[in-house]
Amino acid sequence: MTNGLARASVRFRPASFAGSFVALLLGALIITACGTLLQTGITAHVEAVRYADSPVVVSGDPYARFSYQEGGERASTQIALPERSRVDKALVAKIAARPAVAAVVPDLSFPLQVVKKAGALPALTGRNFSAAALTAADSSATQKRHAPGAGEVVLEESAARAAGLAPGDRLSLIAPGGSGSYVVSGLISAKADGPSVWFADGVAEKLSGHPGTVDAIAVTPRAGVTVSALAGQVRQEVHGRAKVATGDERGAVEVAALTEGKEVLTGVGGSFGGVAALTAVFVVMGTIALATGQRAREFAMLRAIGATPRQIRRTIATEAVILAPVAAALGVLPGLALARWWFGELVDRGAVPEQVSLDVGVLPMVVAVGACLLAALTAGWVAARRPARLRPSQALGEASVERARPGVIRIVMGLAALAGGGVLANLAARLGGSDAANTALGVIMCFLLAVALLGPLLARLCASVLGLPLRAGAAGAAGSLAADNTRAQARRLASAITPIIMVTAFCGTLLFMQSTIRHASAENVKRAVVADHVLGSTGPGLPATTVERAARVPGVDSATGVLRTGAVYRAGSELNSTTVLGVSGDPGSLPKVLDLGVQSGSLSALGSGTVALDTTIAKDLDVKTGDRVSLRLGDGTKVRPIVVATYERGLGVGGAVMPRAAVAAHVTAALDSQVLIAATPGADRQAMARQLTALAPGATVTDAAGYGAQADRDQELNAWANTVMAAVLGGFAAVAAANTLVMTVLDRRREIGLLRLSGTTRRQVRDMMSWEALLVAVSGLVVGGAIAWTTLVPIARGLTGAAPYIPIGTAGQLVAGAVLLSLAATGLPTLALLRTRPIEAGSARQ
Amino acid sequence: MAWRRDSMDTERDRSRPPAIELRAATRAYGRGATAVQALRGVDLALERGSFTAVMGPSGSGKSTFLQCAAGLDRPTSGQVLLGGEEITHLSEDRLTKLRRTRVGFVFQSFNLLPSLTVLQNVLLPQRLAGERQDRRRAQQLLAEVGLPDHGSRRPGQLSGGQQQRVAIARALITEPEVVFADEPTGALDTRTAREVLGLLRRAVDAMGATVVMVTHDPVAASHADQVLFLADGALVGNLWHPDPQTVADRMVKLTAEADEFAGAAA
Repeated sequence: MTNGLARASVRFRPASFAGSFVALLLGALIITACGTLLQTGITAHVEAVRYADSPVVVSGDPYARFSYQEGGERASTQIALPERSRVDKALVAKIAARPAVAAVVPDLSFPLQVVKKAGALPALTGRNFSAAALTAADSSATQKRHAPGAGEVVLEESAARAAGLAPGDRLSLIAPGGSGSYVVSGLISAKADGPSVWFADGVAEKLSGHPGTVDAIAVTPRAGVTVSALAGQVRQEVHGRAKVATGDERGAVEVAALTEGKEVLTGVGGSFGGVAALTAVFVVMGTIALATGQRAREFAMLRAIGATPRQIRRTIATEAVILAPVAAALGVLPGLALARWWFGELVDRGAVPEQVSLDVGVLPMVVAVGACLLAALTAGWVAARRPARLRPSQALGEASVERARPGVIRIVMGLAALAGGGVLANLAARLGGSDAANTALGVIMCFLLAVALLGPLLARLCASVLGLPLRAGAAGAAGSLAADNTRAQARRLASAITPIIMVTAFCGTLLFMQSTIRHASAENVKRAVVADHVLGSTGPGLPATTVERAARVPGVDSATGVLRTGAVYRAGSELNSTTVLGVSGDPGSLPKVLDLGVQSGSLSALGSGTVALDTTIAKDLDVKTGDRVSLRLGDGTKVRPIVVATYERGLGVGGAVMPRAAVAAHVTAALDSQVLIAATPGADRQAMARQLTALAPGATVTDAAGYGAQADRDQELNAWANTVMAAVLGGFAAVAAANTLVMTVLDRRREIGLLRLSGTTRRQVRDMMSWEALLVAVSGLVVGGAIAWTTLVPIARGLTGAAPYIPIGTAGQLVAGAVLLSLAATGLPTLALLRTRPIEAGSARQ
Repeated sequence: MAWRRDSMDTERDRSRPPAIELRAATRAYGRGATAVQALRGVDLALERGSFTAVMGPSGSGKSTFLQCAAGLDRPTSGQVLLGGEEITHLSEDRLTKLRRTRVGFVFQSFNLLPSLTVLQNVLLPQRLAGERQDRRRAQQLLAEVGLPDHGSRRPGQLSGGQQQRVAIARALITEPEVVFADEPTGALDTRTAREVLGLLRRAVDAMGATVVMVTHDPVAASHADQVLFLADGALVGNLWHPDPQTVADRMVKLTAEADEFAGAAA
């Protein structure tokens, strides 16, 4: 077994292990947090509530899938569809005809708005009355009695009570497929449906906006038929045209947002988590290597009195084994707290449905502790190689001499990492949105690896160049001392600047990528939306009729309804989704409200079976005006429209424009998000705005600038996610940077004591250390900034066709943050060192 | 007692090979034109039970000599024999194990592990060797160096002189053939230094240990049986039964010659 030196060392001087301890703790924290989110993303399920009594549910596939050949193997990729995918109503009768089936219930739901002068009803969901059988608390006999006629609705009891409505009252309702006035014919109580309104089945189908399709079909078996037998029969009938769900899969049909929620969680936990874990391992290894290096003298002395290299290595490994599990275990709890907070935020922002709960499993914790232990062992082993191999004669030497330069292998590997980063950066340029962000993190990792490998060379270069003015005497004796110190101790400098580089590179890339996209989007919107008024809605949206009614308002030249949806397209072996604007009204008057910067073709040709595409998407798809293009609409329907125009202002506005009629039947709720109004010259704008506001409940009228405020939800979520990632990685790197700086300063107790003995005043020492801190901060900022810039430029060019947009304020904060961090993390321990008397410090044994 | 050996042993020692022997040992640092010759062919043999001081101006190769003789460093050419055994070609592991059992060290500083108690520090070589740790003997040695009640303290709680005495006890725990001391009194005041030198002297006289000490202090050197003078990597003379004044005179002369040499070279 071990010789107990490690245990004695850790127990006697816990402070000297504090740095490694902090790094390990943070590493475990971040890995636990991401691991827990990833696990939740994989296992997330929602228990069926509405379909609890229907063992088999038929619904559309929530994913667009695409399989391809790669190196002789079949690979496939999938992406969550932006809208609900539905099933053909004809399947209801077919499934009902199967022998094992006792009952079949088509299920439909759509958002409703109430036209009411005063008193607010909660958001209502419209449903078909037969679906009430799924959830109604009463027996089916009671329901039959309540069945609504064509002009009647049945209201959910608690919603009716809240609004003071009773049977016999009239209710004016707006649905995606139309609006009308209905008499409340009865009240029923239903579990899990929320405030709902049931229409007669035929009416509901018309109002849903997508006649001929239903959201889902719930199937119950005859007595004695097993679920699998039933599912088998239904599957035969469906024949791959829809998804047959049993068990918990039914929950996913019920809560359509689950699919996208899972994608968000695996994205955060997996892609970002991978980078975060790598960073954590990186920091842990760096810190432990530094801590081990600082004890080189101790190891050399042990070597001299007869410790074999193996014994040294084992001592260091044992220290890691003692330290890592404890530190990592302590990091697990705050890691769970971070995961909980993050998850809560995602739910609040609607990215994850609220029915999902955080899955706290043992696996992420085990992985976190294991990864930290492994990193500590590896780092200890690598760091121990040097002192273990070192000739013990070094123990007799007074000065710890720096090794001249890194080995050839190290340099070659460093250059390879550098080249890899460059290649990846170019690859990232071809991806869009969140993919680009994730690839960007990979690019940064490559560059950081290069920095780690080439660190000492890089540090010496920085110290030589940046130290020039200091050595020239620009900052007095303290400044020139600082410059000499940093140049002579390049390895120490490298340890100190690497975390600063990390902070700068991560925060810079993530934040400025966001600002670039945001800026470009805002610019696009500002230039693209040329309407005089923008009619929006505080509710689910504006019904299709609004645009026609708006066109009749005096002073309105043209009105164009915009239905915001999405489409999926294939670029290479990747599936991407983009925002699609479904525009209503005369395409000829489109330029009056929307100036998309047409590059080829004309938007006025936008008729049935056509599409206008953003130029970058057209390039991705390799199509020109006049070509047919393969797209999948929001619900997964395949279409092949002809490209009639390409335009440049897609980012932030929409990647594709299609006639509203082509997409309306393929969205979850066919409501317009905006109606763009062009006014006739000399119209009374104020009177017009008043009349427009009265067109629909919850309608708002703004000028063109108001369009931008209603930016797309995905982009908002991306922006927030990027900021959180920057905060988590940046915060982690910042703590690591402070940690490293404190470690390097405390290691210089003896040097500072000697300086004091030889007549350096406290002030001079403080100044010297501040200059060194500044050198560290500036070197880190320059190298980190260079990495961020190299990563950003191709991505920004790909996304916006322009250079990255860097807001001075954010950049200033980043620079100030890095400088303050360096000054504080250097200054505070220096003050502590200066408090001891120089004679004690000078003779201190290290 | 731990210090005493009967005369029979001493008789037998005389018939055995020298404790340490160097044959045409050279050591060069670097290569080509910039190479520095730290040792230029040193031949010498030191008898068992002798106390030898090595002196010379700065850069004369004292430390290199000590490191090569102790097996901490390898000569570029030539041979080093420890107790008659050639150690130049031993593997690093074999050399380490040899150091552990047959060589003791006393350095100027950085001597003791701060995380271990005084007693544990004394026992460290046995612990590293995986041998049974002879606590009684360690306690005895501590008593001999004047620290009978300090075994459970930490090095940080001791004065510099006390730390150096613990280092001597540790150097003697394995009954080594040679104890190497590199400026053992360099960081100590005169009185403490005299006590430490007295302890080394007693280790030779009472225990029959062989001590080789590098120093620049003529007073320290005068405790030895013989002083060897090194200049520019070569042995340039010796002095038996030295007294501080004679040693100092020789040193002044050597230093002047070295300066002259340096001046001529420049």
